[in-house]
Amino acid sequence: MPLVRNPTPTVEPRAPDERKPVQVLASGSDEERWIAARSAAETPEGLSLLTHALAVERVPRVREAMFTALAKIATPESASVALPYLRSEDAALRTQALDALRAMPAVAAEHLSQLLDDSDPDVRLLACEIARALPTGDASRVLGELIEKETNSNVCSAAIEILAETGDVASLPILARCAARFPNDPFLTFAVKTASGRIGSSER
Amino acid sequence: MPDNSSKRVLIIDDAALVRAYYRAALEAHGFVVGEALNGLEGLEKLLLEPFDLVIADINMPQMDGITFLRTLRSKELPVSSIPVLVTSTEAGPHDIAAARGAGANYYLVKPIKQETLAEYAAIFCGRPR
Amino acid sequence: MTDPPQMTEDEFRRLAEFLYRRTGMVFTESKRYYVERRVWERIDATSSLSFSVYFAHLRSEVRDEVEQLINAFTVNETYFYREDHQLACLTTDLLRERVATKRPGDPIRIWSAPCSTGEEPYSIAIWLLENWKDVDTYDIEIVGSDIDTCVLEAAAVGIFGKRALMRLSPEVIARYFHALDDERWQILDDLRQSVRFTRVNLIETKETRPQGRFDVIFCRNVLIYFDDESRRIAAENLYDNLLPGGFICLGHTESMSRISPLFEVCRYSEAIVYRRPEELRRAR
Repeated sequence: MPLVRNPTPTVEPRAPDERKPVQVLASGSDEERWIAARSAAETPEGLSLLTHALAVERVPRVREAMFTALAKIATPESASVALPYLRSEDAALRTQALDALRAMPAVAAEHLSQLLDDSDPDVRLLACEIARALPTGDASRVLGELIEKETNSNVCSAAIEILAETGDVASLPILARCAARFPNDPFLTFAVKTASGRIGSSER
Repeated sequence: MPDNSSKRVLIIDDAALVRAYYRAALEAHGFVVGEALNGLEGLEKLLLEPFDLVIADINMPQMDGITFLRTLRSKELPVSSIPVLVTSTEAGPHDIAAARGAGANYYLVKPIKQETLAEYAAIFCGRPR
Repeated sequence: MTDPPQMTEDEFRRLAEFLYRRTGMVFTESKRYYVERRVWERIDATSSLSFSVYFAHLRSEVRDEVEQLINAFTVNETYFYREDHQLACLTTDLLRERVATKRPGDPIRIWSAPCSTGEEPYSIAIWLLENWKDVDTYDIEIVGSDIDTCVLEAAAVGIFGKRALMRLSPEVIARYFHALDDERWQILDDLRQSVRFTRVNLIETKETRPQGRFDVIFCRNVLIYFDDESRRIAAENLYDNLLPGGFICLGHTESMSRISPLFEVCRYSEAIVYRRPEELRRAR
C-alpha cells in the first residue's frame, strides 16, 4: 500500500543564523528578524535589543514576536518596555502592548497603581484590563479604589465591567455612588445595575 | 419606525456589558444580534453567517477594530463591503481619521445612548461602503 | 448525588461570560443544567465552600481548573474519524490548494500534535488512502507528536479497542487492521510504519523546530488550555512549523481569536481553518 516511507527522518535542519542578533534585527528580512526576535529573550542583552528594535519595527508579526519575548523575560523592566505603547496612536500597537502585559501578569501588576494614576484617561482605561488578572479580591479592591476617585465615566465603566466578574459585597456601595455621580451616562447606569445584580446574587 | 425585522447586526466589543447594552437596544428595535469579542472572532462570524451591519469597538485583544476593518475591506468577498459603525471611547481626530481611512462608514463616541445606536443601526443597515 | 443546588441566573451569567472570554465557548440557558452539574462536581473536587469561592479559584487558573471544567463539555474521547468534517476539508479543499504549486513526487507533510494514542494520525492516513485520488501522486509524510511518551509508545504499537473504531466501517477495518482477538485490532504494519511518532512539547521551540515545516497541522484541544504566555509561544512555534500558505486546524470549539493573531482565517464548506499567509510575491 502507498504511504510507506523511509523511516529515517528526512527533515533537513534549518541552518542557524550566524550573524549577531543586533545585526539581524537591524538588517535582516522579515522572517530573519522574526526568528531573531523570538530568541532575543534567551540572550543576555536581549532586553536592550528588543527595546531598540521595537521602536522601529513596522511589521506586525515581528512586533508581536518582540512583545512575546518581553513576556518571556517577564521582569518589571521588560514590562516597562511594553508600557509606553499603551499610549500609542496606533490601535494595533496598543492591543499588542496590552496583550503582552496580559501574558506577564505578575510583573505587569507591579506597574498597575502607577498606570491607574496616569493623567491620560485612555491609559487608565486600558490599565483596568491589567487589574482583571489580579486575584479576585485584589482586583475588586483596586478597581473599587479607582472608581471612588475617577472623574472620567468611560474609565469607570471599564472598571465596572471587571467588577461584574470579580466584585463582592463591598463593591455595591461604591457602584451606587458612582452611578449617582454620573447620572447622564446611560451606559454607566446600565453597567452599574447589571454589575450590582451579578454581585448581589452571589452573596447568599 | 423603520422595519428592522430580519436585519442582523454583529456587535464586536470585548466588554460583556457593552455587548449586553447594545443587544438590549437593538433587540428592542427589532434587530437580530450576533456577538464577537474581538476583531478576529468578528471576521470568523462574518464568514459563517450573514449580517447586514457591524458595530465594532477599537480597543480589543488579539485584533483591534482598525486592523479588523482593514482586513475585512481587503478580502475580496461580498461581505467585505458590509457597513461598519466604529464605536470608541477615544474621540481624537486621529482616531476618527484612522477609522475612516480603514473603511468605517461612521464613528460614534462612547458613551452612546441606546436610542442613538438603534437610529444609526437602522440608517446604516444595508448601506454598503 | 441528588440534584445539585441551583446556580442563580446571575452566577450562571458570570461563569458563562468568563468562559466565553477565556475560551470562546458559548453557554446558553439551554446548557445550564449540564453546566450546573459540572460546576458542582468541581466545587466538590476543589473543596470550595461556595460558588463564589470556586469562581475565584477558577479565575486564578490554578492547577488547570479551566481545563478540568471544560473537559466535561468537549467530550475529549479519542476515536478514529473524530471530527471527520475536518478530514473532508483536508481532501476537498486544503490539499487541493497545497498541491497547486507542487509537482508529482513532491512531499506533503502533515502533523498531528498532540497525537495522543495515535487515532488522529492513523485516521488521516486511512482517510487519505480511502478518499484522496492523488494519494499516490505525492510523497506523503505523516508525523504524530505528543508530550507524553506513554501515549506515543501505545500509538507506535497501534492496538485499538471497539470504541476507538466505532466510526469506521467493517470494510475499512478489514482493510487496515488485523484482529488480535474479539476486543482488539492492530493497525497493519505497512500503515504503522507510514506514521512517524516523536516526542514534542509544543511550548518548547527547540523541540518543535526540528520537526520541520508542514503543509497541514492538526492541533486540537490543547492550545486553549495554555496560559497566555504559553499560548503565544506555542502559536509562534506552530507558525514556524508551517510552510507559507500552510493550514492549521483546531478543535471544533476552539478559535484562534482566543489564541493568536498570526493566522488568517479561512472558511471552507466543511470547516473553519487557519492559514500561515503566503510569502508576499515580488512586485511585477
